Amino acid sequence: MEAVNIQFAPATGTEEAWNEAYARLADYFRSYQLHNRIRRTQLILETLRKAAEAHAKDPTRTPTAHAIEQARLMLREWLGTIYSDLNLSEAQLEATGRLGFHLAGGPARWPQFFLDEKNMPDDMAEAMRSALRTSGPGMQVSKMTPRDIDLGLIPDVAEDTFGRLGRHPILRYSVLFVIVFSVLGYLYSLFA
Amino acid sequence: MSAPIGSQTANIAMTAGMPPKRISRTRRATFFSLVGLGTIVGAWLSFIFLSENGMRIAEWALLLVFIPLYYQLNVGFWTALFGVWLMNRPKPDPLNLWLTLNAEDYEQPITASTAIVMPVFNEDVTRVFEGLRSIYLSLEATGQSKNFDFFILSDSDKASQWIEEETAWLELCRQLNAFGRIFYRKRRKQINRKSGNVSDFCRRWGRRYRYMVVLDADSLMSGALLTSMVRIMEKNPGIGIVQTFPKQIAADTLLGRVMQFAQALYGPPFMAGLDYWQCGEANFWGHNAILRLAPFIEHCALPPLPANAPFGGHILSHDFVEAALMRKAGYAVRLLPTTRGSYEEGPPTLVDMLKRDRRWCQGNIQHLWLVFAKGWHPMSRVNFLHGILSYVSSLLWFFFLVLATYLAATPTAHQQPQAILAEQILLGLTAMLIFLPKTVILLDEVITGRLFKPLKLRLLTFVSSLLDTVVFTLMAPVLMIFHSRFVIYTLIGRSVNWVTQRRKIDGGLNWSEILFTFASVTLLGLAWAALGWFVSREFLIWISPILFSLVVSILVAALVSGARSGRRLGFFLTPEEYDPPTVLKTMQQNLEEIKDRVQLPPELERHYGLMQVCLDPYVNGLHVSLLRRRRTIDVSRSYLDEIGHRLITQGPQTLSAQELKALMHDTDTVTNLHYRLWSAADHELAAFWSIAIRQYNLASTSPFAHTLAKQELE
Repeated sequence: MEAVNIQFAPATGTEEAWNEAYARLADYFRSYQLHNRIRRTQLILETLRKAAEAHAKDPTRTPTAHAIEQARLMLREWLGTIYSDLNLSEAQLEATGRLGFHLAGGPARWPQFFLDEKNMPDDMAEAMRSALRTSGPGMQVSKMTPRDIDLGLIPDVAEDTFGRLGRHPILRYSVLFVIVFSVLGYLYSLFA
Repeated sequence: MSAPIGSQTANIAMTAGMPPKRISRTRRATFFSLVGLGTIVGAWLSFIFLSENGMRIAEWALLLVFIPLYYQLNVGFWTALFGVWLMNRPKPDPLNLWLTLNAEDYEQPITASTAIVMPVFNEDVTRVFEGLRSIYLSLEATGQSKNFDFFILSDSDKASQWIEEETAWLELCRQLNAFGRIFYRKRRKQINRKSGNVSDFCRRWGRRYRYMVVLDADSLMSGALLTSMVRIMEKNPGIGIVQTFPKQIAADTLLGRVMQFAQALYGPPFMAGLDYWQCGEANFWGHNAILRLAPFIEHCALPPLPANAPFGGHILSHDFVEAALMRKAGYAVRLLPTTRGSYEEGPPTLVDMLKRDRRWCQGNIQHLWLVFAKGWHPMSRVNFLHGILSYVSSLLWFFFLVLATYLAATPTAHQQPQAILAEQILLGLTAMLIFLPKTVILLDEVITGRLFKPLKLRLLTFVSSLLDTVVFTLMAPVLMIFHSRFVIYTLIGRSVNWVTQRRKIDGGLNWSEILFTFASVTLLGLAWAALGWFVSREFLIWISPILFSLVVSILVAALVSGARSGRRLGFFLTPEEYDPPTVLKTMQQNLEEIKDRVQLPPELERHYGLMQVCLDPYVNGLHVSLLRRRRTIDVSRSYLDEIGHRLITQGPQTLSAQELKALMHDTDTVTNLHYRLWSAADHELAAFWSIAIRQYNLASTSPFAHTLAKQELE
C-alpha cells in the first residue's frame, strides 16, 4: 500500500467550508460501499487537494462543489481507461462503469484500486468489462394486430345511442331522470 | 388453420387436446337439460303461486327477474354436483388432461422455450420478487429450467416503485446468478393496461418462445406444475390455453381466510364440474395459465369496443375475450384440475374486494357488445353471458326484493291448496339448490379426507364450513347492493380508474373508509326495515335476514377485515396453511427475513427508490443503463431543470408523480441530479436530502438488498 503523504493547505475558502467538503466526500465515498477506511481517507485527501487547486482558480463555487466535481473527473478518467475499447458517451461511461464495478464485486474485492489509474489489476478491469448487463434478450419483433370483430346490428344502434348520449350529458341525465321518476310515479300510483 | 408451433412432437394429432365433439355435445346436453329443467320447474311453481288471483304487472315483473336468478342457481348446483360425481367416480374422467401424460413423458427433457411473464403495476416490490425467486428456485429444482425465461413487465408509474423494481431485479439476478434468465422491462406508456403490457411483450419477444405462462403479481406456481403444463401443451397441439385453478394463499384477515378456506373446500368440485361441461371452450382467467404463443399473437389481439369507456373502449376483462378468440381460431381452451402448485392472493378486506369487483363488473358488462358478435363458438357466448350475469344477477335480486316488498304491501290471499303447495315446494327446492352442493361437498370431505387425513381436522373443516355459511350469509346482501350499484354506474357511464390492488392490510382497520363505504348500506337497511314494519310484519320476518345483514354491514365489514381470523382455534384451515408447499415456504421465510431490515425515517422510506437513484452511484448507474437512449425528449430541457431544482431545494414531496416520472425518464437529468445533490451545500438542500445524505449509508450494507432477502446461492 502506498504511503499516505498528502499536503493539504488550501489557499482559498474557509476552514468550515473545507470541513463540510470533507464530510460530504466521506459520505460520498461511503456510498460506493468502500469499507476500507484507509483507502477512503486516501481518496478524500487526494480529491480535496485537487479541489483546493480548482477552488483557487474559481472561488465562486463552494469547496464541496469542487470536491464532488473532482471526484467525478477522477472517476471518468479511471473508467475511461477501463472501457477505452467501448464507444460510450460520458453518461453511459459513468453509469456502466459504476454498475460494472458493483457487479464485479469491486467494493469488496478491489477497494484499494478504486480510482487508481496507475495500479489497475487486469482481472478487475476484465471483470468490470464483462459485467455489462442488459435487461432483456434480443428482440424478435412480431405483429400483433387486432382483427375487427363483427358485432352485428345491435351494437351499431347502441353505439349510435351511446355516442349521442355521451356527447350530451344533459340529455343523458334527462333520460335517467325520466326513467327513475317514471318508476317512482308508477309505484306511487300503485300504492295510492 | 395454420400449423401450431407445438406440432413438432411426433405422432400426435394436430387436434389432440380438443375434446371430441360427441362427448362435448353429450355432456352439454345433459348439463343444460338439467339446468333448464330446474329453471322451468322453478318458474312454473313460481307462476302457479303468483297467478292464483291473476297476474298483475308487478307479478309478471317478479317472474321475469326470478327466471335468470333461478337459472344461475341451477348452473351452480349442477356444476357442483357433476364435479363431486367426477371426483368420486371409479373411472377417471376421460377428458382429464393429466391422463394425456404417461410416465415416459415425465422422463423426457423439455425442449420447448417458455416465457414466464409477470405484469406488475405499482405492486409491493418485495412480494413480487420474492415470489419470483420461489418460482425460479422451484423450477430449478426440477432440473428442467433451461428453456424457461422470466420477464417482469412493469407498468409502474411511481418513480420510487420503478427504481426499487430495478434494484430488486438486479439483486435477484445477482443472487441467483440468473442474468440472461430473468429479465426486466419497463413500459414508458401504459397503453391498454395489463393486456397492453402482455401484448407489448408478445410483439417484442413473442417469437422467441413457444409458450407463455402468465402470472399475476401475487401468483405463485411450483416448478413441477409449470413443467407439467408445458408437457401437456407439447402433447396436445390442439390446445391454445390451459388454465390452472389458482388457490388463494397467505391471507391474514378473516375475510381472506374464509375465502381461501371456501376455495380450498368447494373449489375443486366446482372446477371439475366446470371442466365437465365447458370441455374445450373453457375460460381464461388472466393468470396462472399457459398459452400457445403463435396463435395467441396471430388471433388474440384485442380491438377496442365501440363507444367510450366504461361501456366501450378498451376491453377490461380481456381474458374472457382472449379465450373466445383462441377458440374461434380453432384451438381448445382447457381447464386443468389442480389441487397443488398454483396459487394467488385474495383481497384482504371487504372494501378491497369491492374495489376489485367494481373493475371486474365493468369488464364483464362490456362483454354485452360481444355476446351477439359473429363467429364465436356458442359456448363462448354462454361464457360471456355467465360473466355478465354474475354481476347483473345482483341487480336482479335487488329488483326481486323491491317487487316482493311491493307485493307484500298489496297482498292477495293465497288459499288454493295448489298455490300453497307450489310455494312450499319452491321454497324447499330453492333451499336445496343453495345448500345441497355445500352439504354434499362437506360430506365428501368428511368421508374421503381429500383435504385433511386426520379426523380432527376433518371435523374442524365441518365446523369451519358452518361458520363460513354465517359469514357469507352476512356478506351476500351487502355484495348485492354494491354489485347493483356497480352495474348501474357502468350503465350510466361512470368508469373506474386503474389502481393497484392491495394484497395485505397495512396497519390496523381503516374505520373511516369502512364507515364511508357502508354507512349508506346501513341506512338503506334501516329504511327498508321501517317500510317493512308498516307494510307487513310477516313480510318483515321473511326478509329480516337480508335487512339484518344490511343494517350491520359496518360491523361485518370491520369484523371480516380484521386480523382475528380464527387461526388460533384451528378454523378455516387450508392444506397450504397446515402443510405449506416448498414454493410457498421459501417465499414466506424470505418475506420474514425482510421484516427485520433496518428502517429509515418514514419520509425516506416512502421515497426510498428515488433517494437511491439520486444518491447511490450504483443505483444511479443501473437506472441510467436501463433507460432507453432517445434522441429527443418528451418535455423541454428547461422544464426538467426547473423541476430538478425544485426536487433538490424543496424535496420530493413538492413534486407530482408525473413530474418525478418525467425526471426519471431522462438519462442526463438522472446523471446530473446525482452530482448536483452531492455538490450542493447543506443550506441549499431540502431537509429531506440533508437527512438522506447523512442516513443513507447506515440503512443497508448493499444498495440493492433493501427490498430482498439475502439468500446467496452457493
